[in-house]
Amino acid sequence: MALDDLIEYGKRIAVTRRRLFGLGSTGIGTAALASLFERDGLAASSDRNPKTGGMTGLPHFPAKAKRVIFLHQSGAPSQIDLFDYKPQMKKFNGLELPDSIRNGQRITGMTSGQTSFPVASTIFKFAQHGKSGAWMSELLPHTAKIVDDITIIKSMHTDAINHDPAITFIQTGSQQPGRPSIGAWVSYGLGSENQNLPGFVVLVSQSNTPANDQPLFSRLWSSGFLPSNYQGVKFRSSGDPVLFLSDPPGMAKTTRRHIIDSVQKLNQMRLEAYGDPEIETRISQYEMAYRMQTSVPELMDVSKEPESTFQLYGEDARKPGTYAANCLLARKLAERNVRFIQIYHRGWDQHGNLPRDIALQCKGTDQASAALITDLKQRGLLDDTLVIWGGEFGRTVYSQGKLTETNYGRDHHPRNFTIWMAGAGVKKGFSLGETDDYSYNITADPAHVFDLQATLLHLLGVDHKKLTYKFQGRYFRLTDVHGELIQKVLV
Amino acid sequence: MVKIFCWLTFASLCAAAPAKLDFTRDIRPILSDKCFTCHGPDEKTRMAGLRLDTKDGAFEDRKNGAAVVPGSVAKSKLLTRISHENKNLRMPPASAGEPLSERQISLIKQWVEAGAPWAMHWAYEPPKRPTIPEVRAKAQVRNPIDSLVLARLEKENLTFSPEADRVTLLRRLTFDLTGLPPTPKEIAAFIADKHPGAYERQVDRLLQSQHYGEKMAMQWLDLARYADTHGYHIDSHRDMWPWRDWVIRALNDNKPFDQFTVEQLAGDLMPGANTETRIATAFNRNHMINFEGGAIPDEYQTEYVADRVETTSVVWMGMTTGCAKCHDHKYDPIRQKDYYQMAAFFNTIPEKGLDGRKGNAEPMMLLPGHEKQLLDELGKAIPAKEKLLPEKEMTAMQTQWETTGLAKFAGPSRDGLIAHYEFDDSLADVAGGYRHGRATSGEVSYADGIVGRSATFGGQQISVELASTSDIDLAKPFSMAFWVKPSGDKPMTFLKQMDEAGRGWSIQWGESEAIPGLKRVANVRLVFAGGNGKQLELVSRTRIAQGQWTHILVSNSARGPQGVQVYFNGAAEAFDVSGEASATGSSAPIRIQGGIGGLFGQLDDLRLYARASGPELAQQLSQQEPVRAMLFNAATKRNRDQAFKLRDYFLTREAPEEQRKLYAELKQLKEQRDRLELEAPSVMVMEEMTKPRDTFILGRGDYQNKGEKVFANTPAMLQPIESSLPKNRYGLAKWLVQPDHPLTARVAVNRYWQNYFGVGLVKTVEDFGSQGDAPSNQDLLDFLATEFVRTGWDVKAMQRLIVTSSTYRQSSKVTAEMHERDPENRLLARGPRYRLPAELVHDNALFISGLINLKVGGKSVYPYQPSGIWEELAFGGEYSAQKYKQSHGADLYRRAMYTFWKRTAPPASMSTFDAPDREKCVARRAVTNTPLQALVLWNDPTYLEAARVFAVRMLKAGGVDTASRVRYGFELATGRKPQAKELSVLADLVSEQVAIYKKDEASAGALLKVGESPVDLSLNKSELAGWTTLATTILNLDEVITKE
Repeated sequence: MALDDLIEYGKRIAVTRRRLFGLGSTGIGTAALASLFERDGLAASSDRNPKTGGMTGLPHFPAKAKRVIFLHQSGAPSQIDLFDYKPQMKKFNGLELPDSIRNGQRITGMTSGQTSFPVASTIFKFAQHGKSGAWMSELLPHTAKIVDDITIIKSMHTDAINHDPAITFIQTGSQQPGRPSIGAWVSYGLGSENQNLPGFVVLVSQSNTPANDQPLFSRLWSSGFLPSNYQGVKFRSSGDPVLFLSDPPGMAKTTRRHIIDSVQKLNQMRLEAYGDPEIETRISQYEMAYRMQTSVPELMDVSKEPESTFQLYGEDARKPGTYAANCLLARKLAERNVRFIQIYHRGWDQHGNLPRDIALQCKGTDQASAALITDLKQRGLLDDTLVIWGGEFGRTVYSQGKLTETNYGRDHHPRNFTIWMAGAGVKKGFSLGETDDYSYNITADPAHVFDLQATLLHLLGVDHKKLTYKFQGRYFRLTDVHGELIQKVLV
Repeated sequence: MVKIFCWLTFASLCAAAPAKLDFTRDIRPILSDKCFTCHGPDEKTRMAGLRLDTKDGAFEDRKNGAAVVPGSVAKSKLLTRISHENKNLRMPPASAGEPLSERQISLIKQWVEAGAPWAMHWAYEPPKRPTIPEVRAKAQVRNPIDSLVLARLEKENLTFSPEADRVTLLRRLTFDLTGLPPTPKEIAAFIADKHPGAYERQVDRLLQSQHYGEKMAMQWLDLARYADTHGYHIDSHRDMWPWRDWVIRALNDNKPFDQFTVEQLAGDLMPGANTETRIATAFNRNHMINFEGGAIPDEYQTEYVADRVETTSVVWMGMTTGCAKCHDHKYDPIRQKDYYQMAAFFNTIPEKGLDGRKGNAEPMMLLPGHEKQLLDELGKAIPAKEKLLPEKEMTAMQTQWETTGLAKFAGPSRDGLIAHYEFDDSLADVAGGYRHGRATSGEVSYADGIVGRSATFGGQQISVELASTSDIDLAKPFSMAFWVKPSGDKPMTFLKQMDEAGRGWSIQWGESEAIPGLKRVANVRLVFAGGNGKQLELVSRTRIAQGQWTHILVSNSARGPQGVQVYFNGAAEAFDVSGEASATGSSAPIRIQGGIGGLFGQLDDLRLYARASGPELAQQLSQQEPVRAMLFNAATKRNRDQAFKLRDYFLTREAPEEQRKLYAELKQLKEQRDRLELEAPSVMVMEEMTKPRDTFILGRGDYQNKGEKVFANTPAMLQPIESSLPKNRYGLAKWLVQPDHPLTARVAVNRYWQNYFGVGLVKTVEDFGSQGDAPSNQDLLDFLATEFVRTGWDVKAMQRLIVTSSTYRQSSKVTAEMHERDPENRLLARGPRYRLPAELVHDNALFISGLINLKVGGKSVYPYQPSGIWEELAFGGEYSAQKYKQSHGADLYRRAMYTFWKRTAPPASMSTFDAPDREKCVARRAVTNTPLQALVLWNDPTYLEAARVFAVRMLKAGGVDTASRVRYGFELATGRKPQAKELSVLADLVSEQVAIYKKDEASAGALLKVGESPVDLSLNKSELAGWTTLATTILNLDEVITKE
């Protein structure tokens, strides 16, 4: 083919693409919300799938998971008191952490001034559960019941030792701000399967303890250098679930409809005069907004759920804004094929009074986390949904502050922490990774945050090395230049 | 096929086939993208010693022959390898990513055949002023821009679109130069002006508007990552608005761009530095700042420097240096060493890695003004006064007093004392007779207090049982005294006694509020409950502060509510009394129990008496007891705090009169200084350390991994800094604006172009390197750049040049055919049509309604925002910018650029319209089109209120009949008169809606409640509601939120 013909062909494709987005005010809403990249011109020069708005050529290979629910436990839960059972640690309780274990590792400014680093073994009891025999703390009686459905990774590690960089790292692949979040990357690459809801939804719940919570930042669900339509949409528990969703008091639904109709008529006339396809897009977006005014409240309404739902998730699920309510919403969003559902639960940062506060946190979350797995399973959704539970790092074996028989605190610990994952493509009743007797260093199967991100994308059918975006002259990706699949957890 | 398309670049796609191959445009980008990673500037990763980013490297005669042999496809190893049949030998290797497309291979082949003409990357050679070409459409040429654009168009057999009509043109121009729409009056005047130069007169008028500076500043704020909070972690507030106002002033004053540059980069170091130029240096303090507990200072100080390097490079040079932080740049000739040499310019600021807890971080400067003047005076007066109280003499006097004065300090009377807890490391009741306290849940820890040691509570669900006594009863005389130092910010209970019948009392700390200087304050609440549902409540008018010891004494003389007297620090306090109760005595133990939120703080010296007391006891316990406790400690054993307090007591009460007087004066001066320091506006600025920090190359950018020591210098691949210039920020700034600098002027004019046409001549405005896009019209870019320098970097003249061109004045109407041919309008055969940026969408709605407050500059404001947006993410505590406190009155209607910008939760409606979060430098925004934008325009109270007020405007000023009112409103919003069809759609809507609201007045009333501006009561509610729906309809039109 001659060069000129190729160029002509290229031009036609470019136009076709625009047409797909522009034409018709119904039926293309999906593409519109998930990834409406118009003339921003920032997007790479690849084509988009008209149905989902995702990139053509994606998924790179058949996906195991159609969607992800990420249950982020903000503040970093203690692996020592929940998962990483160390029966021998009792012997070391109160003794100094040996230098051979700490190995000169950097520690935060909060404990670097401590003259003593006494080992604090957990005061909680552990037992084995399920056919897999996974050890689990007494604080997680409900999670204990689903151990045969999940994979526990005890050998996670990260680069950051403070909350802001660590949570930014696990959610965006960089400790410093500016990169797109995982959900934004996924929306950018795969688009959305739902016509009436955003493809990337964020739910936040507050801590169960009286202590101050670590803050969260909108950058954790931002689109970074991707166009802003890929950012997560926060569904809120008070006020409008999506900002400005409700019409004002005194405006009837029919009035809203008439307003839209009038706007559309005039926009159509303007389109005829100016020929700018952007006007066509706006026309379809107004219809989508109108549909969201119905679809979102329907989603948020749990009043029609049967009693059994609340027995499963707990009574808290009736209270909007609780972790349990958000887990229930996550199930409803998954049912509606929302691609990326990101939950943040605050309050796991136990520098002091750990025994009391971690118990409160577990009480507030354990049942609902387990319920979500059970519920997805009984609805057949667990087969194509990936669920991840975990914080941004682990906690130290040595006590921060005074160690007593009943009380201790733990500082930040990046060298190892525990997460669990379940669902599509992930082994059931499996445990990966080992740590030393102090739960301080990984001794087998280390899994880095980048590895987790690579594995998450892999399960969605995406090669983490190939989902890139050119910005400031460089092809960026979620996993930077790192990331290996955590093969052992895959089915 | 599709894949082949993917790799077509703009240059070859949207323009027709290139006349001839151009190395810079067609070949170098392929080499850069596909080869430079392993065969580029980075020595460490260079494979086989082959380098393809330089002519020498590509043409070098190697063992197996040169990579490129001009004219010979067969001999050129490059071609052999990229088209090798054996996949294992083909370049780039599969592991390095996508192979070259057939088209790319074909282009390289053609290039070699044509003799492989090589050129340095275009952007690194200084721009040359092009010859202005002759064009066929001479009549259309207003200035050289048009010749250069037409020359390109005529090659495609195209020409300009017709000029836009005057209304459209003035609306476009007014938005572009001021960010506001034109008024109907301005439009009418322009239409009526039939003399030549009418348009240019409009341009000149708008360039003189004070809103010109605001509009031009908006993009600069994105570049400068300007915000009102620190960004990391707790994200509390900072005050950088004085710099924002400096930018607006500088632009309005048409400060030449070179001076604008030098002042912002080195206003502290330049000759003639003054307050204004130092404010300008805040540019490079706008980066995020951290103070997360436990974070490592060096790590963050390194980040701040990196941010300055990267921001400065993008803003002035369109250079993406970030890659070179960890290793030599893969695509552009920037070595890692160059990066750290640049870093050395910015690494010698006397800043801390962790700072900003209380607002601005060091170094900062106070702004000139009344406060600054007073502070300067105090800065002299305080040391002068201190000299009159020499340390040595005072110590001698005090020692004298201590040895003789102790006798005065008899302990407080034990008359009626029923319990006394000193909290000196135990819960012992030292009054005798009652049992010691014990913790029934949680634990008590101890720390230095105000009277010896104190009990400390860190938020636990603590419960401590103290004495059981039924004497604390409103019906009996009693006194209760203790010291408290709250540290939490949620309401809490200090002490309580409550039996199962609900009889008893409690002393609480109420809902606290932050005041300047990081302290929170709250009322003290006393509750006495009779167990019969009746309770007496007393709330103090004075609020006590977090982090400070306050002595509270409650005395009851059993005369009902009047008999209760409360003292704070020895002074009687006024309380608001409500309810009533009697017989509140209880036999339950008295408890220290925080309540739901736990107890955060310290308690000390708790005493209970079975008698009433008064000011004497209150004075004695609050003023003398702490001192008495300290005097028991030998001078050498006192901590600093104690020593200070004792000295304070001595000089306040016990010293000779002369010293007492001097000391009182000194204290007053210091208090005044502390207050002023909190109130005086400041701004963070650049300064140099007296002993500068060394700079090292950091391995992989890791602050712990220090390598070779480097010194400040500019990148080696560009022309060197003149030897007469110092190698500091001033030298760097002067180097950037040297007339022959290849990048600075091009990058600046390219951004201006983007402002007007939506896309820059170089589309990647932030990247002029080899991975960036080639210019769509380099002659035009270079003409503008050289013109900019030639006019002495005259910014307004450059804007004038662009907007007075025929190119800018074209209609933005487009045919389907032309849109297909050039969707992004890179050829410029039509005018720009773009949705307004976030700030302008907002300002336009307020302007149309008439609500807008056009005040320029000042502190940032807090318009309507749904509740909880900050709070559900924020840390809280005593920090600022954790709770959103909405403004009222005129501040609700300021231009959007003055909205308080919290980085971790940016203004929601603006983010929806693509405003960045301002965490990092942003050189271009995406323009998205989403359903969430519709929701903002429908239901954000800002827009609904604007609609309501706009409706009043139509009703009152739009004539008497529906049609004329609709016409009036439509014209206010679009600048033009509606067509008959448009008018009928709108008139039908409003007639229908008025009729509906007439039947449902309650709904009308409800609709009109939105917003805080008063509703015009002279209008019929239903009428106004109906017109409000019309107003919101108009404000939602695509045309209204678009620059056409």
